Amino acid sequence: MLIVDDHQPFRTVARELLESAGYIVAGEAADAEQALAAVAADCPDAVLLDVQLPDRDGFTVATALAAADGPAVVLISSREADDYGRRVAACGARGFIPKSKLSAATFAALLE
Amino acid sequence: MTSTTVTASPSRDMIRDPVLLLPLVVAAGLAVGWLGVDEQVAGTRIAADLALSWALAAASLVVLERPRWRRASWLLAATAFALLGADLEWASSHALWTLGFVLEGLWVALLAQLVLTLPEGRSWSRVARIAVVGAYAVTFGGQVVGAFVVPDARDVLPLASHPSVAHTVDRAQELPAVGLALVVFFLVVQRAGVLRGPARRAQGPLLLAAAITALAALVLLGWVIATDARVSTLETIARAVAVIIPAGIVAGITRSRLRRPEASELVVELRTEAATTMRERLARALGDPSLEVAYRLGDGRYVDAAGRPIELPHGADRAVTGVTSGGEEIAVLVHDPALLDEPALVESVRATAGLVLENERLAAEVRSQLTEVRASRGRIVAAADAERRRIERNLHDGAQQRLVTLSVALGLDASRADEAAADVLSRAQDEVEQAIAELRDLARGIHPTLLRDEGLTAAVEALARRAPLPVTVQSNVRDRLPDPVELAAYFVVSEALTNVVKHASATEAAVLLEREPASLRVTVTDDGVGGARIKAESGLAGLHDRLEALDATLSIKCEARQGTTVCAEFPCAS
Repeated sequence: MLIVDDHQPFRTVARELLESAGYIVAGEAADAEQALAAVAADCPDAVLLDVQLPDRDGFTVATALAAADGPAVVLISSREADDYGRRVAACGARGFIPKSKLSAATFAALLE
Repeated sequence: MTSTTVTASPSRDMIRDPVLLLPLVVAAGLAVGWLGVDEQVAGTRIAADLALSWALAAASLVVLERPRWRRASWLLAATAFALLGADLEWASSHALWTLGFVLEGLWVALLAQLVLTLPEGRSWSRVARIAVVGAYAVTFGGQVVGAFVVPDARDVLPLASHPSVAHTVDRAQELPAVGLALVVFFLVVQRAGVLRGPARRAQGPLLLAAAITALAALVLLGWVIATDARVSTLETIARAVAVIIPAGIVAGITRSRLRRPEASELVVELRTEAATTMRERLARALGDPSLEVAYRLGDGRYVDAAGRPIELPHGADRAVTGVTSGGEEIAVLVHDPALLDEPALVESVRATAGLVLENERLAAEVRSQLTEVRASRGRIVAAADAERRRIERNLHDGAQQRLVTLSVALGLDASRADEAAADVLSRAQDEVEQAIAELRDLARGIHPTLLRDEGLTAAVEALARRAPLPVTVQSNVRDRLPDPVELAAYFVVSEALTNVVKHASATEAAVLLEREPASLRVTVTDDGVGGARIKAESGLAGLHDRLEALDATLSIKCEARQGTTVCAEFPCAS
């Protein structure tokens, strides 16, 4: 799977968290451009995608991936879903996890 | 910009004035009349020549009172001489006869130039300039050529005298003359339709006279071409009709002068509490509906009565007259340049209006300062909003990101540690999550992301969901509103709901967002105890500057046991 977040320490912790739960993290990306390139190259099954990216927002990336019948997307943000209104439901992602609530269990629950 | 000389003193320029030509015109007229009598010319023809030339000379003197019409004055005098010069054909000297023949039609071209260049001596348009040049070519040019070919024993230039050649030259003059008369007629009618106010008042009679003369010229030319004969009676009729042109000029100037008493009525009217504005009253007194009043502020800028900045015009189509009080310019009148021809009228209005304009200027200055204060308040609020947005962003990208990473790391460590350490780590994670939640609430209060991304309705719905009591939201706001309006409306709802929670002891609340064509109304009601007015206002009072900057109104209605209603209305066009 692929982790997309512009905050490097968070990527490191998230990778550790997911790997300890048995997921294979194929790569990391710091912005939308890198994320789309990594999806094309590695064909991951799932993407952990931060909403606030430096170049484009996560909703745009999720919509693009959903349109291309790409991997399952789980959105994460240090804000809550309520702060984004209807866009969370409209972008085609599997679900949304506030970053502070991220755990192997919450992630797995959305992918089922 | 046309500068203004309000006091016109003709005596100063007496030497350069055509006034000295008057006795010359009279003497020349008498001499020509004697020639005519001697030559047994018809009495009516002599009378018509004298009437027209003396009327032209008289008009040239009347026109002198208008400094801008100086060129017209000279043209009128020149026309009178040209007309009498043509009558040298009555002289027995062959040389004088030839001179008279050459000058025969020149007066018509001079009259055309006079009409088409009034008032300032500039042609009205390109077509008018071409028409004037054409008139000289046809009359003067045609006669010079004619002098070489006319089969007359008195001609001193008989180079190629031949009846048929002379006839061709005559026809070559008459046919273009018909076209020119038509052009002049249409130019005059067009001009009469365009002129307004004082210019129409002064030039209207002349334009009417010119139109009639052009039509008469068409009839006479048609007669000459049709009958192929030079009839002396037609020349007499042409001169008799042309008398209405100097008469029209004098009539226009007299008509303008007759308006002056209205200016003194202004004194009375200015003291009445009429509902009309100063501009309207001055426009009426000066007879210029296009008049504008620009008040001069201390810093040299000009504003209108409402305090809005005005750019003074540069160019010949508008004139600017200053109004001073105690040696200091307090306002300027921007008006039709034709008013410059009525300096006494402008001067009397200026003298009368000075005091009232001084008061109006002070009022305009205050309004201008108010506008400035409002604009500056708007800029301050906008700058504060930009700063709020920056702080929200920094909180989110900085502290919040690090705390979130810390929280996830603590959770991961807790899952790997032994039971005792896991307990400590879990409690630490709970604390961090509490800090994150508080930070998130703080960031939302500083600048709500959802408002920026999704607009007012979505943001207010989120506010309602987070409130600790049931809040219903009804909204017809679909499209985005200007940022400052959205933010202020959001803060009104947010503060009102905070008050409901803190003070109202309410069980439920309702938010209504109503978009009208030119406004947005925000209403928050609750079913609480009401009556806690001062306390209830405190949070909303902080929004005062923000609302004032948007010209918004805020009302709070709270009666005991009937709940509280907070209503804000924002002017906001679709």
